[in-house]
Amino acid sequence: MNPLQITNLTKTFKTPKGELLFAVNDVNLSITPGSIHGLLGPNGAGKSTLISLISGITAPTTGSITLFGIDIAKNPNAAKALLGVVPQEVVVEMAFTVEEVLYYFSGMYGVPTNERMDRITNVLNDLDLSDKRHAKAKSLSGGMKRRLMIAKAILHKPKFLILDEPTAGVDVALRQKIWDLVRRLNNEGTTILFTTHYLEEAEQLCESITLMNHGAVIKEGKLKDIQQEFSKNSIHFELYDRDVSHALGVLSTGSEFEFPMTNLAEDIAMLTKHYHGNIKTIRSEAASLEQIFLTLTA
Amino acid sequence: MSNGMWALYAREVKRFQKLWMDTILSPIVSVGLFLAVFGVVGSGRDVDGVPYLAFIYVGLLSMNLINASISNPAFALIISKNLGTIIDLQLAPISPWRVGFAYAMAAVTRGIITLAVGVLCTMWFIPLSGISHPFLLLVAILVTGIEFGILGVAFGMWAKNFEALTFLTTFILQPMIFLAGVFYPIDSLPAPWNTISQFNPLHHNVNLLRFSVTGYADGNPWISLGILIVFLVVAAIGMHYIVKKKLIAE
Repeated sequence: MNPLQITNLTKTFKTPKGELLFAVNDVNLSITPGSIHGLLGPNGAGKSTLISLISGITAPTTGSITLFGIDIAKNPNAAKALLGVVPQEVVVEMAFTVEEVLYYFSGMYGVPTNERMDRITNVLNDLDLSDKRHAKAKSLSGGMKRRLMIAKAILHKPKFLILDEPTAGVDVALRQKIWDLVRRLNNEGTTILFTTHYLEEAEQLCESITLMNHGAVIKEGKLKDIQQEFSKNSIHFELYDRDVSHALGVLSTGSEFEFPMTNLAEDIAMLTKHYHGNIKTIRSEAASLEQIFLTLTA
Repeated sequence: MSNGMWALYAREVKRFQKLWMDTILSPIVSVGLFLAVFGVVGSGRDVDGVPYLAFIYVGLLSMNLINASISNPAFALIISKNLGTIIDLQLAPISPWRVGFAYAMAAVTRGIITLAVGVLCTMWFIPLSGISHPFLLLVAILVTGIEFGILGVAFGMWAKNFEALTFLTTFILQPMIFLAGVFYPIDSLPAPWNTISQFNPLHHNVNLLRFSVTGYADGNPWISLGILIVFLVVAAIGMHYIVKKKLIAE
């Protein structure tokens, strides 16, 4: 059973002029168990609306969302209990200490009273917040508040975790810590949906991605497959003697030549045979996620 | 209560415990000041055999209970919306009905604490020999607290900002309190205000509480209780509708 299954999901809003705006347009998406899935797209692509829909805080116009087979519209509480969400916006309770925030929030997820303190201790250790346990949440720095948001989302040990731009505006060291935590939670069996504007972050963490634009999914699949799909167009090579390149009609790209590829192994064999010992370097470069992103969202 | 609802209730109780000045001192000052002024003005008077000071005393305590019950969830929810922490309620696996009920019960708790503090600090100056109907008093306190707690939740969810809350207290709640018979029997009001007051639910709260304590009623207290129960059910249905609409965006 897939942790997340989205079928024909559409969410429309009415603009002030009375026109229908498709924030999410006929989205189909399934996430496999135990994966880290990246949800990418430019600003206004519909990512946040999609996350609101999955989190059960916005009702869909049409379509369905199931979390581990539970329809979030029909049985929201059972579905939400399996879900942890780190919202994009950092918000904290003004009146409470870090411990109080975590104590009551985990209670709202049904964590038994006698387990809460131990879990809080462990999570605060994991997130380097132990020394702030009795500090007022409002007194924390921006990075600490971000960690507190993560702590809230994982305290009830969700099976599915949504992180909406968890590293936005955090320093390099904290970003690394968040990555480590995400990997560790994933290794422990948590399926993770991750949105980010840092594409190198998605490359580092995600096995699969969904790319959205204008409310629709424009690409979905394993990151490696997508990269291969976009890199299989050409083979790049350098020659010792540039004058012989015209023989195959290859394109010159700076110091390199580019050959339109159909089959990697056959094409390399053919090129090596054709240019004999004239090839200095040869490679089929995987397209970066940034290149793919720019190509698809242009 | 489910675990989640209980935790939310406990959180809201903890929140007002941190505001002890507002919870404890405010009702003492409020009741004390009113009693000081009206005690002098109404000295020696009575209302159908009930000393005037005892008459307004119950009215003032009712007013405190109502104010505390309605303002606690209304303020908490508007602050939560302004801070963005309302998302905690949207994400948590607690049904809108239970969210509303947890806030309303926290409001009742605050209302009862406010009431108890007010009574403990002022009862020594009031010419009351006892409580006429103790069980009915308990019912009246709970019905009043829950009713206005529910209204506070509905309003807190509906209102966009503090300006709306000021509108509620200044233009709706205060006039209703003054037409509820807190300070005088509503029969003494000129027409049409005495008739209008009969349709004011706050009048029935005050009437029932006053009857429970002093044995004096402006109208039939059992009719007041019936009206309040109907009003409570209608308010609860309305609250559920508003909380659901606000927690799950359409």
